[in-house]
Amino acid sequence: MNVVTRGVKNAIRSPLKSGAIVLMFAISIALILSMLVARGSVLSKIDEVKATAGTAITIQPAGVMGGMGGGDPLTAEQIASITSTANISSTTSSLTDQMGTDDTNLTASLELGSFGARQQRFDSSSSATTPTTTDTTAVTEATDRPAPVSRTTVTGTTDANSVSTTGGDLTISSGALIDGTSSEKVALVGATLATKNSLTVGSTFTAYGETITVSGIYTTGNTFQDSGIIMPLATVQDLTDQAGAVSSVTATVNSSDNVASTVAALKKSLGDDADITSEAEQAASSVESLQGIASLTTAGVIAAAAAGALIIVLSMFLVVRERRREIGVIKAIGGSNKKVIGQFIVEGLTITIIGAVIGLVLGVLVSGPMTTSLVSNSTSSSSTTETATGGPGGSGRGGMGGPGGAFQGATEQLNTNITQVTASLTTQIFAAAIGITLLIALLGSAIPAWLTARIRPAEVLRTE
Amino acid sequence: MLTVENISKTFNTPGGQVQALKDVSMTVNTGEFVSIIGKSGSGKSTLLSILGALDNPSTGSIVVDETQINKLSGSKQTQYRAKKIGFVFQQYNLVPNLTALENVMLALEFGGYPASSRLDRATQLLTSVGLEDDQQHRRPTRLSGGQQQRVSIARALANQPAYILADEPTGNLDSATGKKIFDLLHDLSRSQQTTIIVVTHDLEIAGKTDRTFTLKDGKITTK
Repeated sequence: MNVVTRGVKNAIRSPLKSGAIVLMFAISIALILSMLVARGSVLSKIDEVKATAGTAITIQPAGVMGGMGGGDPLTAEQIASITSTANISSTTSSLTDQMGTDDTNLTASLELGSFGARQQRFDSSSSATTPTTTDTTAVTEATDRPAPVSRTTVTGTTDANSVSTTGGDLTISSGALIDGTSSEKVALVGATLATKNSLTVGSTFTAYGETITVSGIYTTGNTFQDSGIIMPLATVQDLTDQAGAVSSVTATVNSSDNVASTVAALKKSLGDDADITSEAEQAASSVESLQGIASLTTAGVIAAAAAGALIIVLSMFLVVRERRREIGVIKAIGGSNKKVIGQFIVEGLTITIIGAVIGLVLGVLVSGPMTTSLVSNSTSSSSTTETATGGPGGSGRGGMGGPGGAFQGATEQLNTNITQVTASLTTQIFAAAIGITLLIALLGSAIPAWLTARIRPAEVLRTE
Repeated sequence: MLTVENISKTFNTPGGQVQALKDVSMTVNTGEFVSIIGKSGSGKSTLLSILGALDNPSTGSIVVDETQINKLSGSKQTQYRAKKIGFVFQQYNLVPNLTALENVMLALEFGGYPASSRLDRATQLLTSVGLEDDQQHRRPTRLSGGQQQRVSIARALANQPAYILADEPTGNLDSATGKKIFDLLHDLSRSQQTTIIVVTHDLEIAGKTDRTFTLKDGKITTK
């Protein structure tokens, strides 16, 4: 029988009392662990969102959004200036146009509908003419205006994959991707449009008076996109007589840390000619709720650790009080302070270690569901799709009948990622939990044990 | 030899200073069996705790075998208690979650007795004070008062102390058992030359000791 066995024996001396202390402590340890796990997953998700979505910058001619608005497209000089800006690792340029019945032999597959018809209400030969009187104008316009027709959107891009709405690569259902940097007269045709016009790989159609060969058929699942055509940027510029013109540029910055400075540099060099938006701004607001959870869990770790320490300190304090006389006896018969303190530290450690083991097991069990519920509660999205990386984002398509959003692909990606906080228990987090627990255990048993040193051996002669 | 010279002890209490001992002097020879009697509150227990180095006097000195124990450091006093002194208490004061054997072995551990022979020594001691085999493996709560006091005496004897200090050793026992315990202590002092100082208020017991000191209001009145 030595200090250690006496301490362990004392710890299980009153099973009910020790059991209650162990249980309370275990719960606080389980809380510490699950808070650490939640914090770890949230922080890594924040990093992931920032890393994958935070480096794209979209540059559009001032006043243009999708196919709507007005203004001049970006020029070749402006593109060169964007490309040469520091920290920009790659750029994707695109130019969109719409083909009517005069431009192509294809039948548009997109239903015109009331929205499409309304967009064309000014498309009349006389619309530019200033009417003489108000009441004749209405009549003149109604008769002179040609009937609205469906149009086919043509996207010229240096990277056909940028048209994808998911942020990943474009899905080619047959044929092959085109080289966006070439100027060949080839095209990728949206699945809906291809069906409407019975186009297959190798078929040809006429656009802007030239014969274009179908290189592949793509599907995006987006009705607007699947009714369009993708061609190399230079081909569209050539066909539409807009040499060097670009309606949207997506630039990728080499590091998320450089996004802000690059946006500033671009705003300086392009001035009022372009509208510049970065995903970093969107990502920042998207991860705000996650950052809230991260600080909440940090507070949770501290609170649970404090509660755990308090439980142990107070329990051991009560134990020491209760056993004053016994401590006096041990000292009276020659037990040194060192031995008494050692015995109580061992007793405290035994209780905390049993509690910690139960708590850690409990923590591993509850941390998964807890993290999931914390995250899904605060982002109000129930999506659980697994997607690894965010793409460069949609590049300003939209227009008539289209979604009209600049970042649709990227924002969808962000929302998906945020709910992807998987409750991952890393070795590091486990080590942190064990470290905190040991610290509490040592403090919690050493402080009360130290009090035993102050008990005078003469205590033993006090008659009760 | 134990010499007490002019010791006084003052306690600070919420109600003001209380002088428990006033200028007490006494001498106890080696192997003597002495008793200290007095009413409750007369300072008996205070004197005993000072003799056992559980407490220090406010003034005066206690010299035990040429060592002034009240000047020793805390850890030296602990060693002095472990090796030179055996305590027997009115309340027995056994450690409740240890068996009779373990209680005796605890004292042996503190006295620096080698771990390998502690069990044998404890068994031998408990047998010598009259505790049967199965009783030696019981915890204090499963022993009678007399049996507990026997364990406590065995514990006091564990390290072959030069002095045994007993505080009302028979106070909680019926008269028949009390007499047996007293006889046990008496035999020890005769057979092993152990100096025994018994604090009691039982005049019958005091009458059987070699000498009796009487404490009254913190002063030794008769020798």
